[in-house]
Amino acid sequence: MSQQNQHQPNLKWLDDPQVFRVNALPAHSDHCWYRSSQEAAAQQSSFRKSLNGHWQFNYAKDPRQISQNFAEVTFDSSNWDDIQVPGLIEFAGYHKFHYINTLYPWEGHHFRRPAFTTASKQDAQGQFSQAPDNPVGQYRKHFHVPVAWQNQTVRVRFEGVQTAMYLWLNGHFLGYAEDSFSPHEFDLTPYLAKDDNVLAVAVFNASTASYLEDQDMFRFFGIFRDVTLLAQPQVHLEDISLRPVPSSDLQSGTLTIQAQTVGTLAGVTAAVAVKDATGKSLWQTVTSLDQIQSGILAQTTFQQIRLWSNDEPYLYQLQITLHDATGHVLEVIPMVFGFRRIEINSNKVMLLNGQRLIIKGVNRHEWNATSGRVITSANMDQDIAIMKANNINAVRTSHYPNHLTWYDRCDQQGIYVMAENNLESHGTWQKLGVVEPSDNVPGNLSQWQAAVLDRAQNNYQWLKNHTSILWWSLGNESYAGTDIAAMETYYKQQDPSRLVHYEGVFHRPEFKNRISDLESRMYASPDEIETYLQNNPSKPFILCEYMHSMGNSVGGLQNYMILLTKYPMFQGGFIWDFIDQAIAVKDEISGQTVFRYGGDFDDRPSDYAFSGDGLLFADRTEKPAMQEVRYYYGKF
Amino acid sequence: MANSKPLQIIYGDGTLGVTGPNCHYIFNYSRGGLESLVYAGKEWLYREPKPTFWRASTDNDRGNGFPQKASQWLGAELFSVVKEIALQVNQKPISLPLAPANNRYTAQEFAEEIQISFTYKTSTVPTTQVTVTYTVRSTGQLHVQAHYHGNHQLPELPRFGLEFVMPTLATGFKYAGLSGETYPDRMAGGVSGTYQIQGLPVTPYLVPQDNGIHMASHWLQISRQSTKDNSDLNRIPFQLKFSQGQKPFAFSALPYTALELENASHQEDLPLPRRTVVTILGAVRGVGGIDSWGADVAPAYRIPGDQDIIFDFNIAGV
Repeated sequence: MSQQNQHQPNLKWLDDPQVFRVNALPAHSDHCWYRSSQEAAAQQSSFRKSLNGHWQFNYAKDPRQISQNFAEVTFDSSNWDDIQVPGLIEFAGYHKFHYINTLYPWEGHHFRRPAFTTASKQDAQGQFSQAPDNPVGQYRKHFHVPVAWQNQTVRVRFEGVQTAMYLWLNGHFLGYAEDSFSPHEFDLTPYLAKDDNVLAVAVFNASTASYLEDQDMFRFFGIFRDVTLLAQPQVHLEDISLRPVPSSDLQSGTLTIQAQTVGTLAGVTAAVAVKDATGKSLWQTVTSLDQIQSGILAQTTFQQIRLWSNDEPYLYQLQITLHDATGHVLEVIPMVFGFRRIEINSNKVMLLNGQRLIIKGVNRHEWNATSGRVITSANMDQDIAIMKANNINAVRTSHYPNHLTWYDRCDQQGIYVMAENNLESHGTWQKLGVVEPSDNVPGNLSQWQAAVLDRAQNNYQWLKNHTSILWWSLGNESYAGTDIAAMETYYKQQDPSRLVHYEGVFHRPEFKNRISDLESRMYASPDEIETYLQNNPSKPFILCEYMHSMGNSVGGLQNYMILLTKYPMFQGGFIWDFIDQAIAVKDEISGQTVFRYGGDFDDRPSDYAFSGDGLLFADRTEKPAMQEVRYYYGKF
Repeated sequence: MANSKPLQIIYGDGTLGVTGPNCHYIFNYSRGGLESLVYAGKEWLYREPKPTFWRASTDNDRGNGFPQKASQWLGAELFSVVKEIALQVNQKPISLPLAPANNRYTAQEFAEEIQISFTYKTSTVPTTQVTVTYTVRSTGQLHVQAHYHGNHQLPELPRFGLEFVMPTLATGFKYAGLSGETYPDRMAGGVSGTYQIQGLPVTPYLVPQDNGIHMASHWLQISRQSTKDNSDLNRIPFQLKFSQGQKPFAFSALPYTALELENASHQEDLPLPRRTVVTILGAVRGVGGIDSWGADVAPAYRIPGDQDIIFDFNIAGV
């Protein structure tokens, strides 16, 4: 259940998979809004204020050791430490680094089973809220809102907090959120003070969400992405949905703009302008918002369109300007969109813009060797540049939604995105290499369904306007059941313009007609692929993971590439993966910067160097195998 | 008095010395092998070259259990010994001239060509033979051939070649072949050309493992500027060139042996680099990549134990 209007926090939410968001604002499109077109051109919004930087911090070893009343304005935090936001608590030195693959991070330390599986009621109660192994990061941040924001609605956006967060403003409880890799927003307005304000956050290392976030990676916690204050004008477009749809002959295209408004709409108009990539005006219209709470804001057809693709990522520019009844600008919203069509034809071949699509892809974790999953703009720019230089045309956001601006970059550079949900639960069904799903979540469990649907919704709503996204991916290695089927249904209902992908249905063929438009495998050998393709295949085939680039590897790429010429329904795949996940430390003996992996931090049990599978080393230099990727990906 | 035959032979009590134009070789009977290789007064060997079978396990090797299957070759890498030495002078076999038979020679012995072969017995079960044949030609050039005798009871080999450990660190190397690090199943992207490499770079895989192989190479020139000779303070660079025989070869030029790499779990575990290890390979196992937990290298890129491997190359000063 998505709980609204809860005024008191409850630690038991950590133990209940049915509670995953409390009072959080609904997920919406990731558009930016500005006070003027000048601001929009400069990409400097006076409606935004970053809260990144120094925060006060207290590390509690477990929930019982939390500093009580820490959210109160009068709380004395003078002896607290200072921490950088965004930042991970492990990198700040409070908590041990830990890398482990399928096993849950408490393996060998605590016995746990997911609530509503084989766990007794007693085991489920307090499993996280009273756990001695569940440290808590307590944060406090003082801030002022700009004078210009007086009387405006103000929210705070946390773009990434792992694993479960409780939030207060000036001592008032605001809400609770899980789903570590999606933004969460909370309305600050009711409790906002004119001068000094104190935001307080308690970030828990683990909750029932941990069962859904068992990604094969270093396990971290903390506020690891941007924190931003956002004000909004009296009337504001809360959500925008762009639907650029090419005609069947791909010559013309229709753009439909849907919007959800907030505020008092009387007399407010929206001026909509579309320009081509060079800035030439193509279309302008003005719509009165009087009647539009939620619905179509504007629609038009362009007789001659240019299509968006990897070769030519052609983007049209859209600007929506809201004016009040007196003609004053309320907000300016610049967006981009491209026309492209992804489909499966009658021969069961996946087409982009009418042509067979070949995925020359790579899986990418967000990684920086000195800050973990806190990555910089420069890191993202470099990653895109490396992909372009090596003929990589597609990325799977393994295995969680990425930094919001990553998708902007992919739109602009023509990188096809498989946008994956934050979901991986292989520790509940893949045990010692055997499929053993007796305590699998989400499975068919009604008590877990809302949580995974919320993740699907977060992923869809925030990212839906990105042309680069061709596929929604339901998650990774989470087995399959009615809950994941419900995620598929959600995407199908929301979005007819994209395909849905999920590999895990491989283990449950009875769900194949309900889950995934593509036949997806991981690490299938060339022979196994041929076996599928020669036996009346029902779906186009892709490899969501292949060519495991651990250490000195990526031999035999040719044996996959020749299948591309033999079978139209073989449509390529995503190499595992882009960058080694290793941590840069100063060697205790030599003083040199060296790279460390699982087990190097007394973290046990561990899967050691198994997170070092990149085409890049952890410092982003290319491994020698990259020239082979560049060669074969350049040939197709 | 000048002799028309270019090679002077020194029929010693423990070694066979060969002096040629600007070069000098010493083959050691008791240690088994080429103990000294000198061009222009500079020593190029730290220890006798020896057959190499082992490569530092890759993550893929570990994942598919290859090191367990091939572990005999680790023993062979370390403990194979020379069991037989055969000598030809001017292409005529002669009995090994050990004392007192060598009393019949003088200080003025010359030849057109010397060929000496060392046959190693591998420390495997069953054992097999590797014959390394050195031929010093009248030009002073050294021709080397290595011959692995296949045995159907022996497992696949991690690699087969000859390892040359040189006394000091090279300053770099130059080669004609393919760009970058290549393996038989990962060489399509390599671009043909001549490449100059600074130092002896080790590819810094998270866990040290086999690295730095260059497939399909025509020649390799190693450059050094220091020796271990305490009386030699000269720092003018000097070079040694390996060039292909009948077919191009694969090589690596690293500061470490396969065993040093195998033993390290992190780059910082590797010892301080102090020598040059050049490995000239006649057979290289692919790296694979289907996965890292069981899938083997494709059959075409494995090295079967039951088939003979013969390859050759030349060595000369520059």
